Amino acid sequence: MKRMVIRSFIIALVAALTVPGAAFTQDKFPSKPITIIVPFSAGGSTDLLGRAVEKIWPKYSPQPMVLINKPGGGGVVGTEFVVRSKPDGYTLFLGYGSGHDVVMPHLQKMPYDPYKDLVAVSRLSIHSVVICTGAKSEFNSIKDMVAWAKKEGKPVTSSVSTKAGAVDISITALGKAAGINIVTVPFAGGADAVTTLAGGHVMIGGGHPSEVMPHIKAGRFKPLAVALPERDSSLPNVPTLKEQGINVYTWGSIKGVAAPAATPREVVEYLEATFKKVCEDAEFKKIMADLDQPIMYQNSAAFTKFLQQAFGDYGKLIKDLNISIQ
Amino acid sequence: MGIFDGIISGFFIALTPMNLLFALLGALIGTAVGVLPGLGPAATIALLLPITYSIASPVAAVIMMAGIYYGAMYGGSTTSILLNLPGEAASVVTCIDGYKMAQKGQAGPALGIAAIGSFIAGSVAVVGLTLFAPPIAEFALSFGPPEKFALALLGLLMAVTLSGESVTKGLIIMVLGLLFGTVGIDPISGKSRFDFGVTELQSGFDFVTLAVGVFGLGEIFYNLEQQGNVEIVTTRVGQVFPRMADWAKSRMAILRGTLIGFFIGIIPGGGAVISSLLSYAVEKKVSKHPEEFGHGAIEGVAGPEAANNAASSSSFIPLLTLGIPGNAAIAMIFACLLIKGVKPGPFLIVEHPDVFWGVIASMYIGNIMLIILNLPLVGIWVQLLRVPYGILAPVVILFTAIGSYSIANQAFDLYALIAFGVLGYVLRKLKIEAGPLPLAFILGPMIEGSMRQSLLMSGGSFSIFVTRPISSTIVALFAIFIVGQAVLAIRRTGRCSKAQKAA
Repeated sequence: MKRMVIRSFIIALVAALTVPGAAFTQDKFPSKPITIIVPFSAGGSTDLLGRAVEKIWPKYSPQPMVLINKPGGGGVVGTEFVVRSKPDGYTLFLGYGSGHDVVMPHLQKMPYDPYKDLVAVSRLSIHSVVICTGAKSEFNSIKDMVAWAKKEGKPVTSSVSTKAGAVDISITALGKAAGINIVTVPFAGGADAVTTLAGGHVMIGGGHPSEVMPHIKAGRFKPLAVALPERDSSLPNVPTLKEQGINVYTWGSIKGVAAPAATPREVVEYLEATFKKVCEDAEFKKIMADLDQPIMYQNSAAFTKFLQQAFGDYGKLIKDLNISIQ
Repeated sequence: MGIFDGIISGFFIALTPMNLLFALLGALIGTAVGVLPGLGPAATIALLLPITYSIASPVAAVIMMAGIYYGAMYGGSTTSILLNLPGEAASVVTCIDGYKMAQKGQAGPALGIAAIGSFIAGSVAVVGLTLFAPPIAEFALSFGPPEKFALALLGLLMAVTLSGESVTKGLIIMVLGLLFGTVGIDPISGKSRFDFGVTELQSGFDFVTLAVGVFGLGEIFYNLEQQGNVEIVTTRVGQVFPRMADWAKSRMAILRGTLIGFFIGIIPGGGAVISSLLSYAVEKKVSKHPEEFGHGAIEGVAGPEAANNAASSSSFIPLLTLGIPGNAAIAMIFACLLIKGVKPGPFLIVEHPDVFWGVIASMYIGNIMLIILNLPLVGIWVQLLRVPYGILAPVVILFTAIGSYSIANQAFDLYALIAFGVLGYVLRKLKIEAGPLPLAFILGPMIEGSMRQSLLMSGGSFSIFVTRPISSTIVALFAIFIVGQAVLAIRRTGRCSKAQKAA
């Protein structure tokens, strides 16, 4: 037990001291610890996914994976770091398919091309948008909410994690499709938005399953709908918007792994195969279930294709809803 | 299981040799992190998170993480007092009178009272946590955007009162702080402001970089000018422990600070800062000698230090009872628990009573460890001031740079650190008290964001701030302060002119 602590401490130390991209004699990949950059703050849903991977990875690889948080610019800072790092497979990006890859390029100029400058390694999960209301609310379905808004002629207030993020776009699209006025109140992150709904300060709110499930289980939130094309396996009892007659879906926030575009093919193949083993690991499945994050593995080719679809779908929504931030 | 049975079983868990060891480890690391300038508890916990994967018991892991968190609060006052270096937002207030005390050769009493105050506040807050966690958590939830707006506005008013003699200079520096706070992506519109095309600026300046730069580096740059006689504090260490007179002055301040910290500290996001500000303002108000504040009043150290330690304990309440992490460090502890398969929240006490009560019990023990650890250290820290300035200053700069880099792992923060150091030097030369700068920097975005959120909620009507009970009470307090100050000022000038006439 104690030896384990010391051992992992040494591993962490060695990993921290190893400069990513240092010139090593290239034997068989990997010959040194792999750095995985999470471009968001520690403690968020992408970070948690990364921690789970970091924990399981050494079971299937001779070298550990070391997670480093590089938050900033809504994910751009950390991603740009990976884009500009040496394409040797020792610096990866976790969270490929998040808002700054599938939404932001439609709204503003990016310092890199998220599709040309990065190669997709594997998809690990999709964090869907779950629309909830407080337990004391009179709404029991999307239909109730639409009926209320039409009868009262008042706007529905909704907390959303960030302006023009997946949650904001999903809820704005819902309002437009249903023909009602939903005022989205943006916060500085998912936790703040969910806490505001928990306090009953807004009528509805949206968040990823990992953010809203604790409140649903505690009986504080009622889930109204999932904004995916199909139901989310981590909330199988919650109907989609489509099932409730609203023809709207989004891809939430996609969580995959990417590497710099020029990374050698055999390295990408090693990585995608190892991520597949991690995704099939029993302990990983248990942790992901505890985190309320569905495992949705895809290999490099399938994920590349999927991202093009998601990027296109978001582009169409943004155009239809006339969303802009400039 | 009742509260009494619960806490007894918690002590059985926390007192096992393994868990005691982890609590001690947490207290040690926390103290070290608190003392090292710029390195914060959140960054440390993030760094140590992979190590907890191999700690089998979630209780042990969280006991250690919690120890690091509140241990850092204990240690944080050390650099504030000795070197004018605030390690985190809540310690900015401690710098004001603490550093002045150190310059007068009273570093010992200041450190001593900070440690004792922290111990009392920490322990009382844990008792509060044991007895009232669930009802108090509901209170935390009742703070929506309008309430946060009113509270942050009140905090800003308090921050300006820190400015010492000149209100004008205080207002200038406050506006500067507010301006720095606007840099980066505006959460409401999604636009990036004042980033000049620099991607790193899109997330704004980092608080620790700003505070450590303006206070700590600014002070060092300023001292570089005083050739030869930079022993400022070094030769006048004075006595090490607080005297009875110091204790008598601080007793009530600690008590008031504890209460303020406990209640305000549970509000997610910024609770600890505002509570230490409020405590300082209250002490200045009730003091018989308010003119001593800003020149080394021991109550100005005791009250805010008690407040931020009470706040660090009570900030566990939303986490343990609602599953809501209130700040970055607590969010890391949240992550650690989730990875271990333990979900903080309303069911924690039922599903994992060992974690819930074990952690709370360990906080009683941790506080005792920290006071035993910290009181003798006071003597050693004070000796630190005997280290020649030519050695001490570069070492401080080194640690500050490491700490600043560790926040987002980017070199940009180092340039920002130096720039803020230069700003601190300029302010020092112009004899402008920098206290309100970092506070306005933190409170500004809170005020702006929560005001715009409130107005979105109300459809643009300002009545939302006065029709909700909590926010209207705070707004009323704000109005009373402003009117009261104005009346006092008018009377004072009136009396002066009468006196002049009489003469």
